[in-house]
Amino acid sequence: MKTFEEKWTAWLDGQLSDRELAQFEALLPDKAAAEAEKTEAKKLGAFLKRELGARALTNEEFFSHQLRERIARERAGESRKSGGRRIEVSTWWTIRRLLWTGTASLVVFLVLAIFVMRDKNPAEQSQYLTQILNARVDPVVSPNATISMFETKEDRVTVLWTEGLQSLPADYAAK
Amino acid sequence: MARSLLLSAAFALVLGTATELRGAEMVWSGLVIAENVAQPHPIPPELTGIERPLKRLFGYNQFQVIGQSRKALQTGQEDWLATSKFFGLHVDARGESQAGYVLNLKLYKEKELLLETDAKLSKRSPLLIKGPQVGGGQLLLVLVVQ
Repeated sequence: MKTFEEKWTAWLDGQLSDRELAQFEALLPDKAAAEAEKTEAKKLGAFLKRELGARALTNEEFFSHQLRERIARERAGESRKSGGRRIEVSTWWTIRRLLWTGTASLVVFLVLAIFVMRDKNPAEQSQYLTQILNARVDPVVSPNATISMFETKEDRVTVLWTEGLQSLPADYAAK
Repeated sequence: MARSLLLSAAFALVLGTATELRGAEMVWSGLVIAENVAQPHPIPPELTGIERPLKRLFGYNQFQVIGQSRKALQTGQEDWLATSKFFGLHVDARGESQAGYVLNLKLYKEKELLLETDAKLSKRSPLLIKGPQVGGGQLLLVLVVQ
């Protein structure tokens, strides 16, 4: 058994059978007002269908839409998962930056190496010869010993020359 | 933070390597017997760089190493000993200056001190010391920064 509202809706939609229609219209207190309301409802329905009705998607559009939705959801999920940590795992050490860093390190190394070698070379190429500051022999062991010192600029050697040291037998030449 | 630490470590490594290049001068100290013989042996490789002054100054044609020591100087404060059967050369490095390493040298015959000297050993100027006569030859002390 349909309620009045169900019958009213069916009447508005034109879905009542002839017998039901006759019975329902007999129940209406003001048929003209009801007909006017029916007309307004139909106009409203048509308007809503025209303005708000979803456009049917083609298959390609539907899949494209689905994919875009899925990508957006995944991106949102990743952002939530990584959160603040995303900064630390950022791609600072890209291949390009690694190459730049490696090159820069090599340049620094070479500059320092050149600096150090330049620092080293002046000492090696300096005019300094070995200097003998002082020398002494034991006067008890070698009372007649004398000492002299000289440098030979030609050979760049410095010599401490002793005379009169205690002579020793050939056995002392042993290794 | 981690990036800064990494960069600092790399820089320290580079600096350390460069410093390493500069350090470790090698000083060769030798006890050498110089003699005149009919068939002289070839000069030892340690003395090839100073063969000419050795022959010219001391007048011998053969030089044999009877004791030696090779010391890497890191701080210039090291000491070491070159010994033969009867002789000992004690070298005590007492610092480094622009002119070279300040060394105290003592030549011992067994436990008897024969000779003592202080010298500034230049990095490109060997030090030759004429020691006592030994048989028909001469004991020489040689110090070279290699």
